[in-house]
Amino acid sequence: MSLMTMNKLLHWLTLASLSTLFSAAAQANTVQYKGVLQASWQSNSEYAAWYNRGVSVNRFGTESERLNLSRAAIDLRTELGSTWSLLASAQYVPDPDSKLGFTELFAQYHTLNKGPRQWQARFGGFYPRMSLENPDIGWSSPYNYSYSAINAWLGEEIRTFGTEVSFKHSDNRLSRRQRTGHNWELVGALYKGNDPAGTLLAWRGWAVHDRQSVFNEAIAFAPINALNAPPLAKQAWRTEPFTEVDGRFGYYLGAHWDYQKRHTLRLYWYDNNGDPSVLNYHTGQYAWDTKFYSAAYRFKITRSTHLVMQAMAGNTAMGKRRGVDNDFSSQFILLTHKWQDYRVSGRVEQFDVKDRDFWDFDPNTSEGGAVTLTGRWQLSEHWHVGMEFQYLESKVANRADFNLPTRQIEQLWRASAELRF
Amino acid sequence: MIQLKHILSLSVTALLLAATSAVAGQLSVQVLDNQGQALPGAAVWLTGQGLAGDAEVLKRSYKMGQKNRAFEPHLLIVPKQAQVSFPNYDSILHHVYSFSPAKTFEFKLYRDQPQALTFAATGAVELGCNIHDWMLGYILVVDSTHFAVTDAQGKAQIPLPAGQLNNVELKVWHEGFVDLDKPQSERLSVVKAGEQLNVQLRQALGMFQDDFSDEFDDYE
Repeated sequence: MSLMTMNKLLHWLTLASLSTLFSAAAQANTVQYKGVLQASWQSNSEYAAWYNRGVSVNRFGTESERLNLSRAAIDLRTELGSTWSLLASAQYVPDPDSKLGFTELFAQYHTLNKGPRQWQARFGGFYPRMSLENPDIGWSSPYNYSYSAINAWLGEEIRTFGTEVSFKHSDNRLSRRQRTGHNWELVGALYKGNDPAGTLLAWRGWAVHDRQSVFNEAIAFAPINALNAPPLAKQAWRTEPFTEVDGRFGYYLGAHWDYQKRHTLRLYWYDNNGDPSVLNYHTGQYAWDTKFYSAAYRFKITRSTHLVMQAMAGNTAMGKRRGVDNDFSSQFILLTHKWQDYRVSGRVEQFDVKDRDFWDFDPNTSEGGAVTLTGRWQLSEHWHVGMEFQYLESKVANRADFNLPTRQIEQLWRASAELRF
Repeated sequence: MIQLKHILSLSVTALLLAATSAVAGQLSVQVLDNQGQALPGAAVWLTGQGLAGDAEVLKRSYKMGQKNRAFEPHLLIVPKQAQVSFPNYDSILHHVYSFSPAKTFEFKLYRDQPQALTFAATGAVELGCNIHDWMLGYILVVDSTHFAVTDAQGKAQIPLPAGQLNNVELKVWHEGFVDLDKPQSERLSVVKAGEQLNVQLRQALGMFQDDFSDEFDDYE
């Protein structure tokens, strides 16, 4: 049996067993669910989006000036005894080809013990918890509709398939008298898969959007000339970001700290430990050696005005002699204010990819930035609406392959309505 | 604000209790901290041999709810052997636990599926949620059916079974005490209905202020 058939079989088996489990639990009324249906209209971009093989780095490309169902997502949680839980996030996105699947699916172990220190573990497929921008349903952002470039990238190319273990100290579990206000958590994970992560940064550059990849997804990108050159001819015109290519384990380490949940800091080091010389000829996927740090900070200036920041920098490389070798970095600052049923959020960000290799036929340099302003209104418990304006500037060297200007400036408007249940 | 709401609801409950009980009157108590400031959220109750238990108070339905990721009320005072139910008003799951000597338990609570427990031993039961670490609540189990919780002005009305009582003890408890199972005790040789008493705490309270937790701190 080929690896792909096995993967598919495993996928369907998992789906079948899960739906049985969740429906059994639903009958016993022991499933907690939170869901959202989101429809959007966005002003057109001049170019098609990357997944439609275009050069635009915003999600909806040229086909958005109509009402789209932009996302349907549901978070499910059911309990397996007092220390185990099963959590799943499933979503549907229409672009480009009606994709339904899991974005997260894992079993969680959480000790229940006296005192402030606890062990916690997750097994399955999940996001590393390095970000503070995406705490809403289905890892979405309650602030801006489009996530920052950092979290848009985590959403499309980063997922952990393995085990995460953490040890935490929750000051809140002490009686008031014994508290100091300091909470912390140390996190470590070992995983397989996620070898092609970095592909989109190299050949498309950073993008600012809210499209998350589901398990087993393949994402297309523009057919750049470099992939016709002999050294890269084996690379498919798409990436399968969560697949295992080199058989090696990757890891990440993280530290969380907060003071009274007012100052929150998360520091992570992520290394997929990819062997850049390994290629899966069947799928056309290389293992990329991708490593980066991420630092996220949130300051609740008041209970209703919050500041969220994140910085990321790292390196990704593929090919026997690291023929593609890029440094990447991005930062954003987000300020949000909630007043009654209204929330306004503004975000400023910058991003770049620096080409460090000597393969001149494959220019990977890109840079850009965005300013995003969003207003959201909770009409009722179930209905939320909002508007977003985004100024997005990007310069990507390989756009010259298509005789297009390397620099794009876009001013995008988006209106979204959500039904939450 | 939430604290204030708790206190208000507590004081309203206390007033209702006072109004509906078939009592011969009530004792007004104001609790002051050791600095002389009025202390809201303190439990006060009377014990003594001449104080018969009120069966009606024991049979009341006591509720420790979870609402907007907080225990409501924050402090529930109940007589020994009382049954307390734990309704979850949130759409999300809570995992309520206690490791206190007076009652050790844990259960996961879904919306509209309340669990109930009988509290047979006296003492402070400190409640937490294993999913939302910041949730903290107290059930104070007392050997008395004559109790109340102080309001925002630090005042409470304790229903009295008779117009006058001799040789009783007035006990005071607050979550900021060093030892949560050691209430402060005042011996009173005579207590009369309608009387007003001031009690000052003899210990400093450790009260670390509330943190900034909100709905987006769920997945910590």
